[in-house]
Amino acid sequence: MSPMLTIAKREFRSYFDSPLAYVVMCLTFLLLGLAFFMYGGGFWQIDRASLQLLFEYTPVGLSVLVVPVVTMRLIAEEKRSGTLEMLITLPVNDSDVILGKYLGALGLVMALVVATALYPIAMFGWPWNLGVLDTGPVWAGYVGLTLFSAAAVAIGLLVSTLTESQAVAFFITFFVLLILWFAEAAANQVSGGLGDLLTHVCFQSRLEGFTRGLIDTRDVVFFLSVTVVALMVAFRALERRKWS
Amino acid sequence: MTTDVMISASGLTKKFGSVRALDNVSFEVRRGEVVGFLGPNGAGKSTTMRILTCFIAPTAGSAKVAGRDVFEDPLGVRRGVGYLPQRAPLYGDMSVQEYLKFTAEIRGLDDHTFSRRLGKVIEVCGLAQTLGKQISHLSHGYRQRVGLGQALIHDPPILILDEPTSDLDPNEKAEVLRYIDEIGKDRTILLSTHNLAEVEQSCARAIIVSKGRVVADGPLDDIRGKTGHVRYLVTVDEQHGESGHAPPKAIELETALAGLAGARAVNELPTDERAHRFELAADQAGDLRAEIFRLMVAKGWTLLELRRDAQSLDTVFRELTRGEQRLDAGRSAEVDEDDDVDDVDDEPEADSADTEDKE
Repeated sequence: MSPMLTIAKREFRSYFDSPLAYVVMCLTFLLLGLAFFMYGGGFWQIDRASLQLLFEYTPVGLSVLVVPVVTMRLIAEEKRSGTLEMLITLPVNDSDVILGKYLGALGLVMALVVATALYPIAMFGWPWNLGVLDTGPVWAGYVGLTLFSAAAVAIGLLVSTLTESQAVAFFITFFVLLILWFAEAAANQVSGGLGDLLTHVCFQSRLEGFTRGLIDTRDVVFFLSVTVVALMVAFRALERRKWS
Repeated sequence: MTTDVMISASGLTKKFGSVRALDNVSFEVRRGEVVGFLGPNGAGKSTTMRILTCFIAPTAGSAKVAGRDVFEDPLGVRRGVGYLPQRAPLYGDMSVQEYLKFTAEIRGLDDHTFSRRLGKVIEVCGLAQTLGKQISHLSHGYRQRVGLGQALIHDPPILILDEPTSDLDPNEKAEVLRYIDEIGKDRTILLSTHNLAEVEQSCARAIIVSKGRVVADGPLDDIRGKTGHVRYLVTVDEQHGESGHAPPKAIELETALAGLAGARAVNELPTDERAHRFELAADQAGDLRAEIFRLMVAKGWTLLELRRDAQSLDTVFRELTRGEQRLDAGRSAEVDEDDDVDDVDDEPEADSADTEDKE
């Protein structure tokens, strides 16, 4: 197994050695369930065989809770406890460390995302059948969620490489993702170039198309670019220790 | 000859901002040598080791480890080296076996090689009882052993150990030193420490650094001889004299020893009630042992021990590194004889205690 995958595997498994992963997963599902079925009448109010709400609420939960919690310790904790030195002085490239950590964290987030498939399966397959589900938007919604998770985890990882404190990493990631989510709403308050920029980078509006079953290349490229750029900056940030 | 050089540093300089942590450090370590890398805290020991393991890059200079350049082939360097960073930072959430397996996997060992090496590592580092335990539940001594274990898992020709005995109690220290002796039989080891006794116990050669510069490098005897003095250890019975003579009082003995021709300084060393123990510094040229013996006979004192050796490493170390320490304390660089002997050793201890608290 390549060093990168070994690191990813360790990272993924270590989530389950602390209660954190369980708490976050339970909380996420509880909140998602409440929002989906209860909030403002939820799914029943819409009265259509649609999972649009699932794809609207899940990314919010991921942004404000799951991704910041899952990514906060990635590099920050290794720096604080000194284990980073042990890890990097094994025969691994800095890129193996960044990508391994990234895949480990993304793995956990994706496990959550995949677990939400219980909704369409249980509601429109077995045991209940609440109508005929249009599967197109569901698949597109999951593509969107995957791309969104990839970008959000990359941002969380980047923040974690910039600090030694998990708490600081959590709050910065939390706010960055929150701002990116509500950027369009903020854009309406400002005019000119800044407003355009905010509209352009808004995660929420970028995901809207997917939710409706529309996979737009521009949105795909947007999320992939955010992911790649964040990972590259994280790599540089990790490498900087050599020269500082 | 060149193939025999396992670690070579030439002109290593490292600046952190405007601080020069290393200043033109050069040395070589040959195959099979166990070298003590000595210096007060902040002298640049860890920085040097981090450069040698490619964790950080030098501002200037270059280094080769196992024949590979730290700039050109960092992975090659790391493959040939087992490294134990200061305070053995390990993943607390893993068990000892999981951790060793993890490092072995990253190092590309297959399962068969791993289980063979694991057996050896367990034996050498004494880990049989702790294999299944979680690392965060282990004592410092055991963590250090696990740290040594991970450094040995791939059977590297070179070991770089950064203060492997700090934070340990005396028993654990002795254990770890015994392991290092065991390991060092067929390996090249660079071992940093601020504890001189350890160097005397396990290394044949020492490199002393102070304020980022190498201030001494050579076999321990040469380093001891650096100041041109020798030391005599004299132990005399405090309770009984020979055939009716009264045993000496400390002051009598001190005066008598100081009166010998060639004696430079006399120091009383701590002992129990039964004996006086003195350290006598003298010029390297002569030999005072016969004189001392005759003095004892003439006075009717019972000589329990008489030994001549080079000056203690402790003294040399203090002389070599003291000037810098004094500047730090805001005093003049002149050597002050009243200075507390333990200056050098105390600081690091306090420092490590701090870090322990944080953890």
